[in-house]
Amino acid sequence: MIRTIAKKEFISTLRDRRFVSLSLIVLLLLLSATIVGLHSYQNLQEEREVAQHTVNEQFANSADRHPHRMAHYGSYAFRPKSSLSFLDFGLDSYTGASVYMEAHRQNSANFSQAQQSTSLIRFGEMTVAFVLQMLLPLLIIFLCFGAFTQEKENGTLKLLLSQGVSLRQLAWAKVSGYSKVVALVVAPALALASLLIFGRGAFALDGDLLLRLLLFILFYGLYFFVFVVLSVVVSALHQRSSTALVSLLGIWILFCILIPKASANLGANLYTTPTRAQLDADVHAEVVKGIDGHNSQDERAEALKQELLKKYGASSLDQLPVNFDGIWMAVGEEQSSKVYQKHFNRLMGIFQKQNRISEWAALLNPYLAVRHLSMGMAGSDFGHYVDFQQKAETYRYHLAQELNHIQATQLRYGDKETRLSSATWGAFEPFEYDTPHASWALANHMISFLGLLLWGIGICIGGMRLIDNTKIV
Amino acid sequence: MKKFRILIKYEWLNFRADRGLLILSLLTLMAGLYGIYYGNTEIVRQRENIADLAQLTEHNIDELKQKYPGEVEAGDIGYYHSTFAVNHPDSWAGLSLGQRDVNPYYIRLRLLNLQSQLYDTENINPLKVLSGNFDLAFVLVYLFPLFIIGLSFNLLSVEKEQGTLPLLLSQPIGLPLIVAAKLVFRIMLVLGLALLLSLIAMLWAGVVPDVRIALWLGVVVLYCLFWFGLAFGVAAMQQNSAFNAVTLLGLWLLLTVVIPALLNVYVAVKQPVPQALALTIEQREEVHAGWDKPKQETMERFYARYPQWRDTTEIEGRFAWRWYYAFHHLGDVAVEDLARQYQGGLLARHELVDRLNVMSVPVNVQGIFNALAGTDLPAHLAFMQSASHYHDSLREFYYPYLFKQVAFTHADYEKEPRHSFSSGPDLDTAFSGIVKVLLSVIFVYVLGVLFLSLKETVVK
Repeated sequence: MIRTIAKKEFISTLRDRRFVSLSLIVLLLLLSATIVGLHSYQNLQEEREVAQHTVNEQFANSADRHPHRMAHYGSYAFRPKSSLSFLDFGLDSYTGASVYMEAHRQNSANFSQAQQSTSLIRFGEMTVAFVLQMLLPLLIIFLCFGAFTQEKENGTLKLLLSQGVSLRQLAWAKVSGYSKVVALVVAPALALASLLIFGRGAFALDGDLLLRLLLFILFYGLYFFVFVVLSVVVSALHQRSSTALVSLLGIWILFCILIPKASANLGANLYTTPTRAQLDADVHAEVVKGIDGHNSQDERAEALKQELLKKYGASSLDQLPVNFDGIWMAVGEEQSSKVYQKHFNRLMGIFQKQNRISEWAALLNPYLAVRHLSMGMAGSDFGHYVDFQQKAETYRYHLAQELNHIQATQLRYGDKETRLSSATWGAFEPFEYDTPHASWALANHMISFLGLLLWGIGICIGGMRLIDNTKIV
Repeated sequence: MKKFRILIKYEWLNFRADRGLLILSLLTLMAGLYGIYYGNTEIVRQRENIADLAQLTEHNIDELKQKYPGEVEAGDIGYYHSTFAVNHPDSWAGLSLGQRDVNPYYIRLRLLNLQSQLYDTENINPLKVLSGNFDLAFVLVYLFPLFIIGLSFNLLSVEKEQGTLPLLLSQPIGLPLIVAAKLVFRIMLVLGLALLLSLIAMLWAGVVPDVRIALWLGVVVLYCLFWFGLAFGVAAMQQNSAFNAVTLLGLWLLLTVVIPALLNVYVAVKQPVPQALALTIEQREEVHAGWDKPKQETMERFYARYPQWRDTTEIEGRFAWRWYYAFHHLGDVAVEDLARQYQGGLLARHELVDRLNVMSVPVNVQGIFNALAGTDLPAHLAFMQSASHYHDSLREFYYPYLFKQVAFTHADYEKEPRHSFSSGPDLDTAFSGIVKVLLSVIFVYVLGVLFLSLKETVVK
């Protein structure tokens, strides 16, 4: 019986011309979003790969230079797009693509897509995630709003129930029928996406990528399921199709438009972000208290001087077996990096506090939950952005310190003239960024994961309980 | 006319009795007030931050005075001293924040080469900017259409579904009058709310009263009329309420979400700006090569552009500040074309969107709001221009010290130029935008009337 009902819903939906044409539009949007996403992914990726390759080559083939010149010359880190980011651009369009890595100074990530766009970009971007998160729930609503109300309006609900089906069974049958329809709309696009990922050889087939894709699909599956059950439940609670539809559309507007924006804005309003200028000034003030990379007049430099002189039993700096210039710059770099890290972490802490509001709101709003999880799996979320910045900073620090070490060991004190041969620079490992593991990405979104899971379970238990109490008349 | 008034009066009574509609109106009002509050706090915060920058500069100068108690080479000051180019928000900015949250509203500058400093970004929480601003413009552009749809999706159909339409028509009134009365009542309600919110926002922000008040209110009225026109057109098709709701929401989705997203893709493909990364790489290469090139060659290239310093003393020894700043500037000169292409590309993007926005009235109206508030991309590009000029004036200020080797004293700090730029409105864009909105409104109403006259009234 239940299977029959499910089949009936499936077939009658496919016969509904209006629904079929809507589904075709959504499917078309999904397919075009996949292609558009991949196109823009490849463009950006190529641009950044070329840029990264160029700067790596430039560094390796630099002219003969003094090591501290090289430290100032530095290098660039261009953020590679993560493989799945073509499905969900996430924050990528709003985060900088390049970080200049030089001695003494931590630079911001510059040149985000959003800065290169007009306010058009603020209306949202056409990505697979966008269609799945915003448009599919609408399609589901159109599909399911009449699930019960139509039976009520036609007087068929009583007939059905007289056949010995319970309301709950009827609801499950409808859910399963509608789920098949949704799968029919989504599956071709996801199949195409998977094919594009693995079939064209654009990406190496590795376990992590597969896991991310599977989780990505799984989360969306759960999300659609939540919306299907929710729509059926709301339909059961109403007597008329039109009011059921209006209620569901209201829920959609609340979930997909109002809450996301309001929660993000509220977070930013509650926790003030310090300006970059203030942050730089704070870092500088704290560094000055310590050692200034360019100023050996500083007290701490003096102390270090005395300590080294004592250690090697020398009377002046040029008698030391090591180059004091390199040593005090290494100490200075260490200290300024530590201070910067402290302030950077504080800033990220503030951002995280701001974002926490949205994360907790995900418990109330499955849209937010799936948005966070989707970005996380696609590698375009806040966590991945911070991770890139951290890795760029780590690389910068080690680059500067290695160059300081070369200066300390290979050059004499006060030597500003000697230029080391170009071969020295070729020995440096270039910057490479590896996307962290899927489990790390998932761990960043435990609240959202919990939210989506709770929604799945809650709507099954609570929603069905509501259906039990529905008026049959 | 009397019948019309009676109809309006009963619409009002109906509305007052409908709790759902009252809640909807109240929600819209509250969203609007929150939007006004939010937009204002953002701008107030930006103003405070900009004010703090002056203190940072003062602090930096105090520190330098301590570090160099007597006279000092100007080169040292140029290296360690930083000052700011600031983009003050217009008094209207809080009404429509535009791109002011994405683009930095100040640039920290030293005497070093400009191109390595011009594109530094502000601390931005990407999740927040992705979610966008909940300002008044958002409420008007996004939420008001939904409010209008909520009020009028069952304009006629509800009477039909409740069986009251035949009753109404049995009175000596025609259908057009009923539709007109219903529309007029709703239009008055929505416009009242929209204009009230706009006026509150203007008072709250303390805007400079100029022609923009009329422009803003005019756009608000036209935009609301546009959506009423759509609702009217859909009602004229005389389908049931569910169909109307789906169709109107579909139109909303198409105009505010799908078309803008597709336009964005088109613009990115049609008008790519790949110069950014090339620019940043190129300028570093040029500047750092300056250390390795023969000093005389560098200076010759510099003097070719600035012959007024040619007769100054020759550079001797390993290092001289004037040589250092000369090759820094030559780094900027080397990427001049790329920088111009980059900014030109961005402007071309804006102009392309300006041409394409006829396809979506919401995009157009958002553009008008941003243009009026001075928060769009061209306003930012104008600020970048102004910051570049400021850097030029800084160089001009320091060059005499550097080339004539005049010592820098404590008294000289005050003579250093300071920067201030205020984003202004772009009235031309706003005007041409409004004309387009007006045409759209006329188009929609003509279409609606056409529908109504084509379709025979089905009472049952």
